[in-house]
Amino acid sequence: MTKPSTVIAYLAAALVLGITVVPLLFVVVGGFRTTAQVNTAPVGWPSPWVTGNYTAILGASAFWQFLWNSAVIAVIATALAVGFGAMAGFALSRYRFPGREALYGLFTIGLLFPLAVASLPLYLLLRQIGLLENPLGVAIPEAAFSLPVTILILRPFMLEIPQEVEDAAVLDGASRLGFFWRILLPLAMPALSTVTVLAFVTSWNAYLLPLLVFNDQTHFTLPLGVATFQSQYSQDTARILAFTTLSMVPALGVFVLAERRIVGGLSGSVKG
Amino acid sequence: MTRRLELALLLGPALLLFVGFVLAPIGVAAYYSLYDWQGFGSLTDFVGLGNYRDVLTGAVFQGAVLHNLVIVVLSLVVQLPVSVALALLLNRKLRGRAVLRLVVFAPYVLSEATTAVIWLLILQPGGFVDQLLSGLGLHALIRQWLADPRVVLLTLFVVITWKYIGFGIILLLAGLQGIPRELIEAASLDGASPWQATRGVVLPLLGPTIRIWIFLSVIGSLQVFDVVWIMTLGGPANASTTMATYLIDHGFKRYEFGYGSAVAVVLFIICFAFALVYQRFALRRDTEGALR
Amino acid sequence: MRSIRPLAVLAAALLVAACGPSGTAGSGALTWWHNGTSDPVKSLWQSVADSYHAAHPDVTITVDPIQNEQFQTKVPLALQSDSPPGLYQQWGGGQEASQIKSGKVLDLTSSVSGWIGQLGQAAAGWQVDGKQYGVPYDQHVVGFWYRKDLFARAGIGAPPATMADFTADLGKLRAAGVTPVAIGSKDRWPDAFYWDYFAVRECATDVLRQSVKTLKLDDPCWLKAGQDLAALLAENPFQQGFLGTPAQQGAGSSAGLVANGQAAMELQGDWEPGTMASLTEDKDFAAKLGWFPFPTVEGGAGDPGVTLGGGDGFSCTTAAPPACPDFLKYIAGVEVQTKLAAAGIGLPVNPDAASALKDPTLKAVFDYSRKASYVQTYFDVAMPTAVGQALNDAIANFMAGKGTPAGIVQSVGQAATGDR
Repeated sequence: MTKPSTVIAYLAAALVLGITVVPLLFVVVGGFRTTAQVNTAPVGWPSPWVTGNYTAILGASAFWQFLWNSAVIAVIATALAVGFGAMAGFALSRYRFPGREALYGLFTIGLLFPLAVASLPLYLLLRQIGLLENPLGVAIPEAAFSLPVTILILRPFMLEIPQEVEDAAVLDGASRLGFFWRILLPLAMPALSTVTVLAFVTSWNAYLLPLLVFNDQTHFTLPLGVATFQSQYSQDTARILAFTTLSMVPALGVFVLAERRIVGGLSGSVKG
Repeated sequence: MTRRLELALLLGPALLLFVGFVLAPIGVAAYYSLYDWQGFGSLTDFVGLGNYRDVLTGAVFQGAVLHNLVIVVLSLVVQLPVSVALALLLNRKLRGRAVLRLVVFAPYVLSEATTAVIWLLILQPGGFVDQLLSGLGLHALIRQWLADPRVVLLTLFVVITWKYIGFGIILLLAGLQGIPRELIEAASLDGASPWQATRGVVLPLLGPTIRIWIFLSVIGSLQVFDVVWIMTLGGPANASTTMATYLIDHGFKRYEFGYGSAVAVVLFIICFAFALVYQRFALRRDTEGALR
Repeated sequence: MRSIRPLAVLAAALLVAACGPSGTAGSGALTWWHNGTSDPVKSLWQSVADSYHAAHPDVTITVDPIQNEQFQTKVPLALQSDSPPGLYQQWGGGQEASQIKSGKVLDLTSSVSGWIGQLGQAAAGWQVDGKQYGVPYDQHVVGFWYRKDLFARAGIGAPPATMADFTADLGKLRAAGVTPVAIGSKDRWPDAFYWDYFAVRECATDVLRQSVKTLKLDDPCWLKAGQDLAALLAENPFQQGFLGTPAQQGAGSSAGLVANGQAAMELQGDWEPGTMASLTEDKDFAAKLGWFPFPTVEGGAGDPGVTLGGGDGFSCTTAAPPACPDFLKYIAGVEVQTKLAAAGIGLPVNPDAASALKDPTLKAVFDYSRKASYVQTYFDVAMPTAVGQALNDAIANFMAGKGTPAGIVQSVGQAATGDR
């Protein structure tokens, strides 16, 4: 790393930070203003700083209820998507069998259809199997729709792992599944962390599925919870911004945890 | 354990979930597309391919396809280099890079609804963006960001880029982890400059990840909905309509479930055609590479 | 002795049948979907449910507030299932007519016949083919909300009564450096108010009724409406960049512009003051607001007493317990209507509750609506959803400079025949 290139790197980083962070600041700082303040001067610091929005949200049990609901659903959906996705990715990368590419293609097809279109049949299906008003009614379809991206990303990463590693494991007496569990998965940690974050965030921000499944407010997830600050003709913008900021925290937390595994995990070669 | 059983165990759960909750509903939705149906009562008005004919000959839909293609091209020409450059940047040992990564990823975590609310505030006439441009002496660049039909699609592209760049970056970061340090060091020992090392060693090895990024980005661009819907509803006068907003606007919002499903199937076929061609030509190398 | 036993059993059975709950799944349990997700409406409806339950302990009401825009998604789905909510938000008109096709919306004609007349004209919007399928709880009227201070600054004495006066006032406002009219074109539906009102001013009442019913806009008055709109647009009445301005969100919205004194007027419903309240720090803005009806058009065949409006209401479904129509009666009764009016939620449909309206301007609007010879529901609600949306889109495109008056008229005919 020569000095000039490091300087340029820092400058570029500062530029990126500036462009990205300004709108984000709006959201976070906006929660410290009143809606009237936001409306009078959309861009500006709070004058005065108002903690009422944040305290009101954190103090109301509704927020924590929504948070819990979102968390339960996101954890289940992510676990299912990544778990089943990793297993399927393994099968599609380390085994050879007729129709393998076609199967991989089939999973990819799930990416090509927006969820909204399948909403009516999905609703009817969920009603039929009795999963309405049930967190599983959201988590399971979410996991199903996350499978394509998960498999799409995991499979190439799993393909990259050299055959020698697998052969060595077999020589050491490990079964295929043992290799999967004890060697492949740890090696694929960057990819696994990536798909975990993606599946979690997708579920965390999901709006349409919870909308279809839940009518009872006590089952609502965070994105549905925003509705409580909006009426037919107006919205409490400042409170919405505060609510959104708080909603982001858990998802960002998952990102921070996973990020260490994406980049901090294994540096260096996979050989040996 | 027999190999067959292993395969069944590994593939079974994913397949079950996928077929039951994704493929089956999609199939039913495609079935709706053959009917003229308002969502009430049973399916009685069979129109066969009539909906498809209406979709493909409609001027608004054709405009929507064009808008989607513009976004696809822009994402490849603009987002790709920026994402790769940022991923390379964030992979270096910079102080505070963890914070930087968090900040770059945060827009992806933000809900679409709030993204739109924020950007609507920022892009107001005389708002933050306009003030900033004035302050920098770039007054001549100010436009009606959301009201001018010639500019609105580009404005939306900027917002979309802001929102989704984090997604690409973590993907590319994951890909960068698989590139052995020794190779880069060897290159520099051979006298290559950092840029040459990047170009000659890192980028080719990042190839598979980049190709996945391209795939997801193109599909995402073809299906873009939320940001456009909340910020402009596809307007003004259909200047920013995308296939997905058209689907919701002229289909479901008008209670035309059959027609909307037909639009979805057309969108699907377009994505599928791309996926097919892409898999055949771009991804083939990746799958063959590791097979032994 | 032995003969008494069967009689006793019979008597007991009759008693049980007469006094006990009907025993079916829907008995006494009412699920209520309304759009009051935030206060004051939310608490108000909850207290209404609680009071009714207190008076009728055998009826339990489960209240589910649902965000306004979400009804469009949830109602068709619910009507597809066997267990839709017993009571849900209903805006009447063509949307209601479509929903009836599901066979799950309850025909209330006989159960409300005793008291529906009290609500006068308002109830007509919730009838389909003369049968009552829903009951309104508030009504809306569209007119011009204006800033008295800005009008005074421009030297305008009285609000304009004719379109000619209106055009002249536009000039006066511009000369005084004030944006004359704010509009939220991004959301498209505010555009429709203009064309709808020009149609109401140009077309005779019978023509209005007939055309909406047949969805054929053959009368030349419909074309004139578009031409009037073109003439208005040529006067450049709106704020800069109006095509991207939202109607109600944020201070940059059309409502926000008027609330903050950056525009002089807006053509909107009676909800406008309520919307404006959260968009400005000016505590006195309500006192600065006035209202005048849409000006008359020279040579128009329309009755000047006709007003454009709508309302909110509820419908019962076939899954509702027998108490549902009675609950609707309770909501339309003076007690609840007074609470609604006092909370500033809308114009009551029960005239006896009008005295509870606090804002004098709203009171004036209410009186005006009571005197109206006919209330035309905004066309996108009066017509079936697909047709209404197609009309709104054609109008919005026209406002953006694309399309012709003839094109607007054609859009209705095309959408009506399913031709896209």
